[in-house]
Amino acid sequence: MNGDIASMRNIGISAHIDSGKTTLTERILFYCKKIHKVHEVKGRDGVGATMDSMDLERERGISIASATTNVAWAGRSINIIDTPGHVDFTIEVERSLRVLDSAVLVLCSVGGVQSQTITVDRQLRRYNVPFIAFVNKLDRVGANPFKVRDQLEAKLGHRAVLMQLPIGLEGSFEGLVDLVRMTALYFDGADGETVRVGPVPGGLAAEAARKREELLDAASLHSDELTEALLEGRATEALVQDAVRRGVLARKLVPVFLGSAYRNKGIQPLLDAVVDYLPHPGEVENRAADLDAGGVERVLAPDPAAKAVALAFKLEDGPYGQLTYIRVYQGGLRKGDELVNTRSGQRIKVGRLVRMHADTMVEIGEARCGEIVALFGVDCASGDTFCGPGLNLAMTSIHVPEPVVSLAIAPVDKAAADRLAKALGRFTKEDPTFRTHVDPESNQTIIQGMGELHLDVYVERMKREYRAEVATGMPQVAYREAIGRQADFDYTHRKQTGGAGQYARVIGRLEPFSKGAFEFASEVRGGRIPRDFIPSCEKGFRAALKKGALIGFPVTGVRVVLVDGNFHPVDSSDLAFQTAAQAAFKQAYMGAKPRLLEPVMKVSVEGPAEFAGSVFATISQRRGTIVSSVEDGTVSRVDAEVPLAEMFGYATVLRSLTQGKAEFTMEFLKYGRVPAPQAEVLMERRLERSRSVTPR
Amino acid sequence: MTFTVKDALIKRSPLRVLEKSISGGLGMGNLGVLASRKGVGKTACLVHIAADKLLQGKPVIHVSYASRVDHIMTWYEDIFRELAKAPKMSAALDEFDELIRNRVIMNFRREGARTEQVLRSLEAMIVHAGFRAEAVIVDGLDFALAGPGELRLFKDFAGRLGLEVWFSASLKGEEPLFDERGVPRELEPCLPAIDVLISLQHHGDHVHFNLVQDHGRLAPRDLRLRLDPTTLLIEEARGPARQTL
Ligand SMILES: Nc1nc2c(ncn2[C@@H]2O[C@H](COP(=O)(O)OP(=O)(O)O)[C@@H](O)[C@H]2O)c(=O)[nH]1
Ligand SMILES: [Mg+2]
Repeated sequence: MNGDIASMRNIGISAHIDSGKTTLTERILFYCKKIHKVHEVKGRDGVGATMDSMDLERERGISIASATTNVAWAGRSINIIDTPGHVDFTIEVERSLRVLDSAVLVLCSVGGVQSQTITVDRQLRRYNVPFIAFVNKLDRVGANPFKVRDQLEAKLGHRAVLMQLPIGLEGSFEGLVDLVRMTALYFDGADGETVRVGPVPGGLAAEAARKREELLDAASLHSDELTEALLEGRATEALVQDAVRRGVLARKLVPVFLGSAYRNKGIQPLLDAVVDYLPHPGEVENRAADLDAGGVERVLAPDPAAKAVALAFKLEDGPYGQLTYIRVYQGGLRKGDELVNTRSGQRIKVGRLVRMHADTMVEIGEARCGEIVALFGVDCASGDTFCGPGLNLAMTSIHVPEPVVSLAIAPVDKAAADRLAKALGRFTKEDPTFRTHVDPESNQTIIQGMGELHLDVYVERMKREYRAEVATGMPQVAYREAIGRQADFDYTHRKQTGGAGQYARVIGRLEPFSKGAFEFASEVRGGRIPRDFIPSCEKGFRAALKKGALIGFPVTGVRVVLVDGNFHPVDSSDLAFQTAAQAAFKQAYMGAKPRLLEPVMKVSVEGPAEFAGSVFATISQRRGTIVSSVEDGTVSRVDAEVPLAEMFGYATVLRSLTQGKAEFTMEFLKYGRVPAPQAEVLMERRLERSRSVTPR
Repeated sequence: MTFTVKDALIKRSPLRVLEKSISGGLGMGNLGVLASRKGVGKTACLVHIAADKLLQGKPVIHVSYASRVDHIMTWYEDIFRELAKAPKMSAALDEFDELIRNRVIMNFRREGARTEQVLRSLEAMIVHAGFRAEAVIVDGLDFALAGPGELRLFKDFAGRLGLEVWFSASLKGEEPLFDERGVPRELEPCLPAIDVLISLQHHGDHVHFNLVQDHGRLAPRDLRLRLDPTTLLIEEARGPARQTL
């Protein structure tokens, strides 16, 4: 492997859950000689797939955190990130996509384009990531790669073209026809490690010729050279590959590869495809905001001689201490180099530098642009940018959604409490969608995240990785409060207790504000409130927003305009104005038609069409709105908007209703107004709680 | 948006002209058909009809046989955006979210979608899920394939659930498309099940509406409506009535 940028590939493997992403990754590691034995997911040998390095994942058989790993294939260095498929963890997926240059989209040949595939496709589009498709599980009953290709076009709107034809399907799936070279490929040996090339079977010749025509038609759109060559009957393998590659890089063409990870078929050609059709880091444009020039975007130079720019995209507490995964975009890093964290301004010295395999690592002396490596002993948050001296750039911030669920947790004993603190510190650094705070009223530790499962996983990790046993409360929806109309305030804060008194008066109004959470404006004239105390007022209002008077959730979408006021030369102070502002907000709030908002989720349920009616009913019972229902023969997909508060336990309900044949995904969509009956219940409950904690 | 502005929008709608021409509207349990060749603007008209119902707070189910549903959603967004351009209607888009909660899109892939299946799902939506639709829009039903038999199923269903159902019918046959009464020749076998039949035809750069059948009466006449080619809204035609056919 040389350090040449053209020999690098940074790929993600994205898929709907259970499509075989983990199994495929495992096989890739095996063929690239990174592991010596193939393990199955949930394997009977009790070892589990190498990529799912966390115990918990092993047990559940799903991938949660993305592990990055480096392999070598055909003289190229490929970094693979096993992106988690579950929608509760999309922040991880999005982060990986920011860091990777291209992807392999894995689809199940029976399930085809599924709900998660659509989510992932949208993410690939958002980050403009080129990709190739791999249709897996050709050995399964009902496998139909042709249908899957059709769905890539019909459901996702891609121009998809088969690069291979299956030789046999389901139980008799034997090998593949390579439509570029027009040869047959078989996978011999106990683990399919020997690729045997043969002639295209006679029975498939006509079909292969037809599909090759389709491939050439699609490819020639991206290369005049190929078009000409085709007219003159001299199309070469290299010309075809070059044309397909152009199509892929422009995101105008999706070549479709086939196989069965489980049966060890089709993996080596897929690796060849990664090398042949996916871009190297130098072919992908990356930008960063120049903090010294008002945030102007600069295109980074994929040049190892330039000054270093790197992004920390993941932190991990492994058996070897703290690891920071970084992607180098410009220049290079060497042991001993000095870098600046442009968010914190902190300087760091590059210490140990390693290249990661799933569970082992290789120490390296330097990392050049395009590489993904890990650093030891660096204190930072994920999303931080590191630059060489003299540069002050920030990689576009990774879009972080607000958490929508919270859960009260309590350590079972003192020892657990200490370990819990450590665990929370780690998790919040690793995952920006996971937050924690102590509720000042109840004194409880609250954790917040993107869904029930998201928090469940962290509670389990506390136990397993940190031996911090905790008791949990009921999951709570992150409500918000907002105002419905303008309201005025005029509040005088006056206190005389012996020594210095307190005096402050604030006059103004609250207005609904749609452009953000909060805005403060002062129209105070003639020093009616001394200039020094204006920020004190703002501070007071901000403090008041933290807990709305309806049910004690944060108030958003408010603009406060301070118009007038009064002060006392001796008794007015910073504190007096803060207190006055806070009280003024409370005074005006109830007159501003306050209302409750709740997180509304975009829910997508997929399953056999016979259950569509039952699914409709579950949605409407949950105050949901059905946006659309699509029936495609025997399969149906229902897209709906449902308040998160109604979605707890939905997985269980759906499972029993459909005998486990339907599945759903959900993600945060927006905040919507809580209807009056539900709002009343919430306020009632709040009242009861406050009664029960009133001191006797 | 104040109610008066919304009311004005409803009252001024060219669809009131249509209703007046067809004896007060299509009516519960009845089927209406907009017929033309492909690409004349049937979907735009159907979406305008649906939008008008939504403005009146009436739930609508939009049935389609397309391969993707996002296009349909875009149709609605566009139509509401156009409607919002009416004087004092700029706030209407804020209410778009609210209005659209009363619309469900149900999409069926053409290959597998028999009318029995479509009606089963519609019934599940209306009865099981309690989505009390008042109107159903059916865009893209293949009339040649469905024939009078399946149309009758729709008619019975509409009667049973008290629905008003509007269809588009894409005419594919050879010229002349219409018989001497103005009835599209391909739709003749279905005529008994159709209550209101309107044909759409290009005339210059506008599309004109001909009422062919009105609740059982064959009475061809210009509806004095047309489709505006830029806004894709139905509007009242100005100038003298045209000679039909
Ligand atoms: N029949 C068949 N099963 C497979 C294949 N690939 C994976 N599986 C099985 O599908 C299930 C999910 O696989 P996994 O790799 O965990 O999928 P992931 O959720 O996408 O990571 C496991 O039981 C695998 O053994 C395949 O090619 N054929
Ligand atoms: Mg997995």
